[in-house]
Amino acid sequence: MTTMATRIQMPYTLTPGEATGVFLAELGRRRLIGSRHGDRILVPAQDFDGSTGEPAEGFVELAPAGRLEAFTVTAQGVLGLVLVDGADVPFLHRIVGFAEADLTIGARVAAVWADEPTGSVLDLAGFGPAGDGPGFKPRIAPDGLAQPFEQVEYTMTLDYQHSYGHYYGTLFDAVRTDRRLRGVKCSQCRRTLLPPRARCDVCFAPTAEWVDVEAVGVVQACSVVHIEFIGQRLKPPYVYAELVLDGTSTRLIHMVGGIDPAEARTAVAPGSRVRAVWSDRRTGSLADIDYFELIPGEPS
Amino acid sequence: MSYAPRPVAVVNSAQTLFKPSWADRQHVDLISEAVTGVLKGTGLRIDDVDFVIDSGSDFLDGRSISNCGFLGAMGAHHKEESRVEEDGLWALSYAMNKIASGSASVGLVVAYAKPSELDARSFWCTLLEPFTQRPVGLDHLSAAGLYAHRYLTAAGLKPKDLEVVARHAWEAAVRNPNVDLDEVPSAEPFWHERVASPLHGSDFARPVDGAVAVLLAAADVADQITTRPVRLTGHGSAIDQHFLAAREADALPACAAAARMALGTARATAFDIAEVSATSTVGELMVLEALGLAPRHKALDLYDGGGATAVNPSGGALPADPIMATGLARFHEAAARLAGRSGFAAGEARTALVHGTGGFAMQNHCVVTMEVAA
Amino acid sequence: MSIAIVGTGQTAHARRRTDVSQAGLAREAVVEALQDAGLTMDDIDSVVVASGPAMFGAVNQPEKWLVDALGARFKPVVRVTSGGGTGLAGALAAVNQIKGGAARRVLVVAYDKLSEGALQASISTLYDPFWGREFAVGIMGFSAAYWRARMDRLGHTQEAAAMVAVKNRRHALANPKAHVRKEVTVEEVLASRPLCWPIKVLDVPPISDGACAVILAADEDALAITDTPAWINGMAYYSEADNGADRSMLQSEPLQIAAARVYRDAGITNPFRQFDVAELQEPYTCFELSYYEGLGLCPAGGAADLVASGETAMGGSLPVNPSGGCMGANPIGATALIRLAEAAMQVTGKAGRHQVPGASLALVQAGGGWANLRGVAVVSSEKR
Repeated sequence: MTTMATRIQMPYTLTPGEATGVFLAELGRRRLIGSRHGDRILVPAQDFDGSTGEPAEGFVELAPAGRLEAFTVTAQGVLGLVLVDGADVPFLHRIVGFAEADLTIGARVAAVWADEPTGSVLDLAGFGPAGDGPGFKPRIAPDGLAQPFEQVEYTMTLDYQHSYGHYYGTLFDAVRTDRRLRGVKCSQCRRTLLPPRARCDVCFAPTAEWVDVEAVGVVQACSVVHIEFIGQRLKPPYVYAELVLDGTSTRLIHMVGGIDPAEARTAVAPGSRVRAVWSDRRTGSLADIDYFELIPGEPS
Repeated sequence: MSYAPRPVAVVNSAQTLFKPSWADRQHVDLISEAVTGVLKGTGLRIDDVDFVIDSGSDFLDGRSISNCGFLGAMGAHHKEESRVEEDGLWALSYAMNKIASGSASVGLVVAYAKPSELDARSFWCTLLEPFTQRPVGLDHLSAAGLYAHRYLTAAGLKPKDLEVVARHAWEAAVRNPNVDLDEVPSAEPFWHERVASPLHGSDFARPVDGAVAVLLAAADVADQITTRPVRLTGHGSAIDQHFLAAREADALPACAAAARMALGTARATAFDIAEVSATSTVGELMVLEALGLAPRHKALDLYDGGGATAVNPSGGALPADPIMATGLARFHEAAARLAGRSGFAAGEARTALVHGTGGFAMQNHCVVTMEVAA
Repeated sequence: MSIAIVGTGQTAHARRRTDVSQAGLAREAVVEALQDAGLTMDDIDSVVVASGPAMFGAVNQPEKWLVDALGARFKPVVRVTSGGGTGLAGALAAVNQIKGGAARRVLVVAYDKLSEGALQASISTLYDPFWGREFAVGIMGFSAAYWRARMDRLGHTQEAAAMVAVKNRRHALANPKAHVRKEVTVEEVLASRPLCWPIKVLDVPPISDGACAVILAADEDALAITDTPAWINGMAYYSEADNGADRSMLQSEPLQIAAARVYRDAGITNPFRQFDVAELQEPYTCFELSYYEGLGLCPAGGAADLVASGETAMGGSLPVNPSGGCMGANPIGATALIRLAEAAMQVTGKAGRHQVPGASLALVQAGGGWANLRGVAVVSSEKR
């Protein structure tokens, strides 16, 4: 085992603010809306001009056409900076429909609209080749502006390959193959640290020898989880527990199971003795322990 | 009563080897190796360190408040600690302030990254405002391509002209024991395959894993430890606006502003060494111009050699970009040379200018200057 | 050199602000702080942004986006993060910038727009991906577990914590910026739905969108800006390794260390008697009890008696959280800076309906992470 794949995926509802909200809403109606900041016009419309910090004083409708100022060709397509006629700052967007040889600085471009609006900046699919056709001068305070989008749905997905490294690797190899937990002793304070690590956090001294740790210990702290939330890994109710295994001085985070949820508040307490119930799975992680159970006849 | 900040000096600096993937090490392993290294030979122990300022990224680490889990490895247990979520040169700047303020004497600065655990594109794209820039497919590569298209056009250069920048960087990195690199890449696609026109693979910084640690102290304390003390003489930082399209086409005015703040009336060309960060070859040219090391659109001339200032003797950030630690790595390279710790014979170089950058497409810039104490 | 707060601003905190972006929200607080100080952005040398973990909001390094809304182009802008304590950590960075000679006037802005993300899932990423993340309930399961332990050992009963909920929610009634203004009774708290028992719904603060901004300056400059500077007579922020050996967490050691340091700097020898008011960051009610002890306001095991005595309520000898604390509003990244701003408002007589009469010396506490990042500050009408 070298790395463990982990995904962080979370939903968001993001508020663009009034100006960008209006801009996005109007794209679905195939209108290009900019914001006015003093004598400057920004498109996409912004609540604030980053050059000056000036807030938007109002809106302006721009002809959906302009001039290509720069571009870059990548494996995913072409991105370009389009100075929309009448705007003071270029619009960074996709450039579509060009043969590569025809891409030149100064090329005239016009909006290419998406067939079906979906409520994002991609309702404007990009800018494509255009002639010098009649546009119009920026229209101050355009009529009938759409209400701004207040929330935009977004999902963020981040995929990680987390390294086990020598210490976690040694621990979890032993968990998987031998159903053993392995900690390390600090060379200075001699306390056993689990999970193992190169240095003792408290002494900053190197750790020295490996020690086998039996999956038996004491509940240091526990709570009963009832809350449900987006992204939760386990179905409540369950007993969240921080355990200190015998001989160690650190926290192992797991759950205490095998008890009636209705009695969880009183059945498990700080000081309760527990032991691991190993799973049939061999994943090389804490999931190889189904849960910790109370040891009958020991203090709880 | 007049108030004068306390002078600050470098006690030591250290790093792990930079390599594209430290797959067999965890963050804490890299961090504790750098911290152990920086204490070595100083006579100081972790208990002598008053505070720790660290740089890292929750998104890169795949953890929120990621410093929380790494405090032990940083030696920060029961010390004052702060996380600056920016390139490590800003953490160094914070530590400088804290010592200069007189509230502490010895400070440890730590910066690290393991970009091998998350693809670089995911990381860079999460920095973008999510409504108009992120959805169109902008990423760090295409952003550099857009800068390059405009820079080359304005400077009257061809894409191939940039090869000298990459060659200088990679050849220097081969000589640099801090970078895991045996030879300059020779593969045809690396030099010629288009990634984001007009740029090729060789034009982009290579993400690497690693950690850097710097030990700073009040000058009077450092003078008792080091034989050739290096004083920090200036620092400054400045940020540009967020939207790439609204920034200047082929120049980095925020970098120039940071340099003005750090340099005061001094000139960048008066420094013996300049260690600068960049995410692309064109980015490196724009940084050198913004710092005042070359006139606008003329930075390429610096690679002819013979200039008074040695630019990126380490190879700079192109062959080795540990994203959150890149600027602090530049600092380490410069400080080690001034102190005579790494290749450079003592006495050869006396002054250095260090540059770090952060944010999408180099939005934020930090400059630190130092010199060997008279 | 002495540093003072010369201006503060806060948004009206709310459950969900759909009229402004994250950047626009932060700007609102900044505009108010600049107005309070009679300054413009041109007068500001440097900006420190503080926010909760960036995964709360889907925008990594959000200060890079905020710059445009703050009008901070070409200024030094850096972000300091420290979970729930980040606002205080940010203010400390600003203090060091001024004392270190890097800036004269620093703006600290802290915010979170928690309505936009999946809060508990996001906080759960605090856990080591190899060590217990699948059991995490944000930091609530952990916090409840150690409250349970303190219940046994220190007598921090559910009733005592409920009194904190009652007190702070009552205080919030008088705070126009609070977003939850509803009284509750001890019985209601005790009967409220368990989330992570012993933590129940009414032990938990609201989830808020909000921002806070504070402007700092030194000595004569502070006096030139305002007639009523709030002097920071001590401020420190300490950490503890999260899974270091023998961490019982019955008392917060980094809090005790920070308090000792700050009390020494500020000349505090009897905190309960000397302070006129305290603003403590209590993300759950149980924490306020723990902080009473960690800050030396009462002996270990004395917190339940202290809250029951009424001395920490308005009208008592040391009102704690006259603003309502987190129970009134909890935009996590802004919460710590709100505590500092509220303390400054108290010692300068600007707290309006929730003013503690005659307050001149205030205690501030904040923290984040695994209860392992802890900061303390002392704010005074008198320069020390």
